[in-house]
Amino acid sequence: MSKIASETVPVKSKSAEPARAVKSQKSDQATWKNAYDAQIGEDRVIKNRSGIEVKALYTPDDWSDESYDDELGYPGQAPYTRGIYATMHRGRAWTQRQLIGLGTPEEYNERLTKSLDQGASAISLLPCNSGFRGIDCDEAPTALLGTCGTVINSIEDMDAALKGVPLDQISTAVNDPSPFTLFAFLLGVAKRRGIPFDKITGTANQSDYISHFVANHMFYRLSLPGARRVFVDHVAYCREHVPNWNPVSVVGQHMQQAGATPAETMGFTLSTAIQHAEDCINRGMEPDYILPRFTFFFDISISFFEEIAKFRAARRIWARIAQERLGAKDPRSMRFKFHGQTSGVDLTSQQPLNNIARVSAQAIAGILSGLQSMHTDSYDEAISCPTEGPAQIASATQHILREEAHLCDVIDPLGGSYYVETLTDQMEEKILEVMEVIDKAGGMYEAVEQGVVQRMIGKSALAHQQKVERGDEKIIGVNHLADHEDAHEPAPYRPDRSKMERHVTAFKEYKSARNQSDVLRAIDRLTKAADNEDENIFASIVDAADKGATHGEIIARLREDLGFGQPLVVE
Amino acid sequence: MNDYPGRVLITKIGYDGHDRGSRIVAAFLRDAGMEVIYTPPWQEIDAVVSLATQEDVDVIGISSLATDHLIVPDLMAALGEAGLSHIRVVVGGIVPESEHELLKTAGVSAIFGPGSGRDDIVVAVRNCVTESRQNRTFA
Amino acid sequence: MSKNDNAVIERLGKKVMSGNVAALARSITVIENNMPGSDELMARIRAATTGIPVIGITGPPGAGKSTLIDALVHEIRGSDRSVGILAVDPSSPITGGAVLGDRVRMGNHTMDQGVFIRSLSARGHLGGLSSATFDAIDLLDAAGWDIIIIETVGAGQSETEIASIADVGCVLAAPGLGDDVQAMKAGILEIADILVVNKADRDGAENTEQQLRAMLELRHGKGRDVQVLKTIATKPDGVDDLLNAIDNHPNLTELDKSSSRRRKRVRTVLSGLAAQLARQTILAGSGTELDDIFSKALDGRLSLRHAASMAVSASLNANASDEGPTD
Repeated sequence: MSKIASETVPVKSKSAEPARAVKSQKSDQATWKNAYDAQIGEDRVIKNRSGIEVKALYTPDDWSDESYDDELGYPGQAPYTRGIYATMHRGRAWTQRQLIGLGTPEEYNERLTKSLDQGASAISLLPCNSGFRGIDCDEAPTALLGTCGTVINSIEDMDAALKGVPLDQISTAVNDPSPFTLFAFLLGVAKRRGIPFDKITGTANQSDYISHFVANHMFYRLSLPGARRVFVDHVAYCREHVPNWNPVSVVGQHMQQAGATPAETMGFTLSTAIQHAEDCINRGMEPDYILPRFTFFFDISISFFEEIAKFRAARRIWARIAQERLGAKDPRSMRFKFHGQTSGVDLTSQQPLNNIARVSAQAIAGILSGLQSMHTDSYDEAISCPTEGPAQIASATQHILREEAHLCDVIDPLGGSYYVETLTDQMEEKILEVMEVIDKAGGMYEAVEQGVVQRMIGKSALAHQQKVERGDEKIIGVNHLADHEDAHEPAPYRPDRSKMERHVTAFKEYKSARNQSDVLRAIDRLTKAADNEDENIFASIVDAADKGATHGEIIARLREDLGFGQPLVVE
Repeated sequence: MNDYPGRVLITKIGYDGHDRGSRIVAAFLRDAGMEVIYTPPWQEIDAVVSLATQEDVDVIGISSLATDHLIVPDLMAALGEAGLSHIRVVVGGIVPESEHELLKTAGVSAIFGPGSGRDDIVVAVRNCVTESRQNRTFA
Repeated sequence: MSKNDNAVIERLGKKVMSGNVAALARSITVIENNMPGSDELMARIRAATTGIPVIGITGPPGAGKSTLIDALVHEIRGSDRSVGILAVDPSSPITGGAVLGDRVRMGNHTMDQGVFIRSLSARGHLGGLSSATFDAIDLLDAAGWDIIIIETVGAGQSETEIASIADVGCVLAAPGLGDDVQAMKAGILEIADILVVNKADRDGAENTEQQLRAMLELRHGKGRDVQVLKTIATKPDGVDDLLNAIDNHPNLTELDKSSSRRRKRVRTVLSGLAAQLARQTILAGSGTELDDIFSKALDGRLSLRHAASMAVSASLNANASDEGPTD
């Protein structure tokens, strides 16, 4: 029986002995439980966003390392729970890849140059919303051009945007949904500069057409079956001609932002990856030919430990899927490589400086999850496209976490934590449950067509909203500790109107100065490829871009040939 | 006479596609007994006018994440030209404080930023329905 | 109704008959909500009706109904006809509200002056919706539209009623929707004049087609004469054949006089409304006559069948003093 709680133990100076618990007293769980129950007062049930109950304390009773080798293993080896490479961030820190997109190509180039000077190690190019819509700048109201992304409608624009950027030395991600015109422009620029395609590295962000039909309807241009065809063509082309490019970025971001829980998000995303892989394999590509170039892209929410567990579980699941389901033999096919972006959904426009703290927390979670590259949001993200000052802080945040907090020094530092390992197992279970639902529906393509996924997301979104309304989920400055005298609102970014108008004029001139018959012939070849299953549509897109066809022109023709992308009805 | 369900069009103009908020608001209004005509994003202003006419709506709710609210004044003008100035327009989403004036001057009835409560939205829309009906030019 | 209101209704009616879209839309709101003057309005415009054909399209979620209608509208417009679409969505039985999402994919036609789309909420009123739909059809007719499509999900009884207003009811099935045909409510299949297997390029399309044909085999007489068509709405493929089948359907060609088509429709709606009225009255069950019948049925002095027959007469008496229908 312990008397420690109520008595003071006389201190004996025995400097030779290390200060440890007095040997006759042993810590035991029952005692803790009693003390906890007595002191906690009202103990509510706490559940994380995925619906998993989170206890007060985790012990070896919850998880022990007896199956360390099978469940965790070592970094760079199956089951990859602790990391996909042997060295992880200690060997090479995650890539700092900040999204940049605003204004005209020239303005983009200015901001990009600054970002690289500030230590960014890779590029991520974000086009204007009008581009996402599939039209050129001369078809959109000027007020909406360049507000959230850069207007890039041609090879010329891409060249200007990437002026002075060594494409053969720096990894370039383009946010470029089907039919991948931006990438076609990028290749055109590389060709102009005499850079062989095998020197081009980077990722086709937003290449995952399925995610665009599920949530965040920003990016659909072609019909669902049309997008499917172009996707596989694009993978085939890249594997052959641009071997160091990642043509596949399976996107979990939109679903989580639309309200899917972290477990649902991972389940849907892994199911999508399976769908894409199967479509490519059915086309005749070997699993080990394509899977090493599959990457993933996720939101990192502020549900700190949940995110870490989500990603650790994903590594384990994906390795298994690659091998057992998709038939991969090469270890490179089993690596769950992902880019994380701190979630804008968690940010607030009220008291925006608080977002710096939020982004830091999200970023730490991302780093401890073992991500390969990261974008940190600026604190004014909740108001507009980032302005320079806030963008700089977002950049510095990553440097600070890396250099000052030394978060790169240890691989998977949370490995072995009773909590984190238990949660990883629980998240894995939930993720697999979701994947089973998708399997039952016939795979992700079918499930999305039928609205299965959208309905689940809608439900989760509403549930979360109700939690917020009830005050169960507290958001500082919004429904908790809200300060209605909010003095500081950062000025929103607005593009320079006159620069944009000049750009549109120059674009029109560019179009009329082209060899029209060359362009028309190239566009007609798009139709020819679309009509012929054995031809590679993306190859014809690259050719059309090279001949001066614009983004809008290419997409308009493909919409005619392959169907206009409309949102799917979910009743 | 005016106590039949309010008819509200919820839509997005411009180029943003984020629709989580608009879906939730549609559900709020439905639960409050209103009829919501819900469209996908990327609607042209002409299309919104046509929709609003055919569906005989009382209120239009515009959801705007990025900067699409900048063309709401154009929508207001188009509604006026089409003889639909009785329709009340509310905007939900991200509208910087500095741009509220622009919208209010154009005739927008209310702006709901993130964190707006369900009850506030429902009450405001209900009031807009009433106002809209009082201001009809015929029938 | 005041003289003022009378004038307003007269103006409204005139505008509808001259093709004014805003007036048409407003009129639908007026009759849908049984606002004062709705009877007068309808009385005014009935003379301008010609009995245009009404097509019903019903199908479960996931069958691609919306895409099919989109493609069908395209075909109709290609044949130089204007089309009005009444898209019916279920409403919450609790709050009475509804999210009418059918607009979601009819985006291609929003700017086409020859296409009118109106979302109607089912409002949980059995029969009430069919009279509003019927009136809306007459309004579109009087406004000069050539053909009408009524779209329903087919999940509820009120929708089966709506669908039965159509001259040619098309019911959609698609492969891969769980139990396919078995999952579809029997009532819906009954009212089908044409069965359509959409997504015909999918695995299981043949199977779905077999199931439908097998079901038809079990029928007798005219019930067997239901065509089973295949479409791929996304291409589109087979939609021209569908329009052809609709245009040439006996329901449209045999009842050649458009007035007899309309007559059939009136009868259907009337019986629905009457049934609803009787039902409401009997359920409310007030009045000594009805009470008496009820007690006798309860203790077996009257058979239920007999009691029902008597109750109908009694409800007629109860309603004789009413001024008009209430929703």
